[in-house]
Amino acid sequence: MSTVNNNVWEIMLNIDRRWIFLLIGVVAIIPFLIGIGMPISTTKEVEDIFYHVNELGSDDAIFISFDFAPGTQAENMPMAVAVLRHAFAKNIPVFMTAFFPLGHGMAVSGLDHVTNPEIDGYFQIVSWDEWAYIRETGKTSRSDILAAWRSEGNTLSGNAAGWVFEGRDYALLGFCPMFHLVILGMTNSIANQYPEDYHGNPVAEMPMLNEHKSLREVDLVLTTSGSSACVSWVVYGREKIGLNVAFGVTAVMATDYYPYLQAEQIIGQMGGLRGAAEYEVLMVENGIVETTGKAFTGMDVQSAAHLLIILLIIMGNVAYFAGGFHKKQRLTKGRR
Amino acid sequence: MKRTVPLMIVMVGGILMMIQYFIPHQYSQTLFDYYTTWTPIVGAFALVLGVGSLTRVHSHRIKRKAKNWPYSLAVLIPLYLMPLFALLIPKSIGGGMDNPSVFDFLFMGIQVPIQSTMFSLLAFYIASAAFRAFRAKSALATVLLLAAVVIMLAQVPIGEVIFGKGLQIIGLWILRYPNLAAKRAIMLGVGFGMLATNLKIIFGVERNWLGGTGG
Repeated sequence: MSTVNNNVWEIMLNIDRRWIFLLIGVVAIIPFLIGIGMPISTTKEVEDIFYHVNELGSDDAIFISFDFAPGTQAENMPMAVAVLRHAFAKNIPVFMTAFFPLGHGMAVSGLDHVTNPEIDGYFQIVSWDEWAYIRETGKTSRSDILAAWRSEGNTLSGNAAGWVFEGRDYALLGFCPMFHLVILGMTNSIANQYPEDYHGNPVAEMPMLNEHKSLREVDLVLTTSGSSACVSWVVYGREKIGLNVAFGVTAVMATDYYPYLQAEQIIGQMGGLRGAAEYEVLMVENGIVETTGKAFTGMDVQSAAHLLIILLIIMGNVAYFAGGFHKKQRLTKGRR
Repeated sequence: MKRTVPLMIVMVGGILMMIQYFIPHQYSQTLFDYYTTWTPIVGAFALVLGVGSLTRVHSHRIKRKAKNWPYSLAVLIPLYLMPLFALLIPKSIGGGMDNPSVFDFLFMGIQVPIQSTMFSLLAFYIASAAFRAFRAKSALATVLLLAAVVIMLAQVPIGEVIFGKGLQIIGLWILRYPNLAAKRAIMLGVGFGMLATNLKIIFGVERNWLGGTGG
C-alpha cells in the first residue's frame, strides 16, 4: 500500500511540465474573457505619485521617461499611459524621453495610445505646424492658445477629452545617447541637450520651454523602467538639483527600490501591474477618467496566475513530504 | 607610452570630474558643460567601432560558411536595413520612422512582439520552477517560501478578497522593513565595492580595462 502511495506522490512530483504550462495558459486567458474586475485598494507609494501630479497645473511640467524595452511593456506601459492621460487631463505640460533607443519606440506607442481616436476619452493632437499661426501672434499661455484655436471654428470630436498642442502640452524628445549625461546636461538646459524634438521641431522655440528651461523648473520625473536605468534619475537628477523623482518599475524590481522610498529620494513608486492598476483606480475615484484601463483588467489575470502558482507550490510540498522524499529518498524517474 | 597616456587621461579626468561635482563655480560649470558635450561625441566613435567590429566578425562567418552562419545574416541584414529605411529611403515610399513606415512596421510588428513574447514566457517557467523547487526543506527555506506566498497573495486583489486587508498589511510590512533592510545592506556593499574599484581604476591600480592582465 505504501509503495502504491509513494508512486502516486512520485507521479505528482514528476508531472510533465507541459501540463503546468497549459494550466498557466488557461488561467491567463479566461479572466480576460470573462472580466471579473476584483476591487483593488491603493497604497501610499502610488497615492503619493497620484496626488503630486493631481496638484499640478498648466504652469507646471513633468517628465515621463520611457526607460523600458518592449519586453516589459505589459507592466510599464500602463503606468506611463495612466500618468500621461492624467497630465493631459490636467493640462500639465509633459516632456517625453527615453533612456534606450527601444524606449523611444515605447514613448511613441504610449502617445499613440492616449491620442488614438478609437479609444473613448482620447486627446486630439494639434501638431506643431497646425497651430503655427497662433504662435506667430505671440500667444503662449494655454488658455489663449485654446481660445484662438476654438475661434477658428475647430471643434472636438464626440469621444475626445480635449486637445493637446505639440510644443505647449507635450514634447516628444525621445532618445539621446549616453542618457545619464543627458540628465546631467538637462539640469542646466533642456534645449541644449535636445535642440530638436523627435519630429524635428525646434525645442527652444516651444512655449513649454519658456517656463521650463531646465530640470530645475520641472515638478516631477516619472521614470517607467524595466532595468536599473531609473536609478540614474536619482543619482544625476535628485541628488544634484533636488528633482522630484517617481519610479514606475516592474514587480520583480520593485523590492529593490524601497530604500530609495524610505530615504525620500523618490516620492513614490508604482510596482508592476499592481502599481499601474492602483493609479487607474485613483484616476477613476478622483473623476479624471470614467473607466479603468488595461492594468486593472490585467490584475484579474495576475490573481488567477498567482493563485495557481501557490496551489502548485502547496501540491509540490505535500507530495514531497507525504511521499517521504524529504528523507533523501531519490525519485526513480527522470523529470521532463 | 601606449599604456601610460590612457592611464594619465583616466587619472586626470577622473580626479577633475570628482572635484568638479563639489565646486559650484562658473568655471567648474563650464568644464562640466564641455564634458557633457564631448562625451557623447567620443561615444559616437565607439558606435562606429562597434558596428564595424560586428560587421567584420559576422561577414567572416558568412564567408567561411561557419556553423550556424545564417544567424549572422539575421544579425547583419536588420543592422543595416533598419537605418536604411529610417534615414535614407524617402517617406513617400515607406521611409522615415513615423507611422506608417517600414521602420515602424518592423519595430511594432517584429521587435515588440518578439521581446514581449520572450518576457511572457517567464510566467510559464516560473510556475514550473516554483512547483519543482520551492520546498520547505529547512527552516530558512520555509521562511522564504512563506514570505513568497504572502507577497504573491498580497500583491493581487484575490488575496484581499480571500483574507481581507490584514494580508496586504503583512505583505507591505515585509516589503517596507525586512526587505528594505536587506536591500540596503546589499546596496551599501555594492556601493563600497564600486567606489573601491573606481578609485583603483583612477589611480591606475586596476588596469584590466587596458586589455592587459591587471595589477
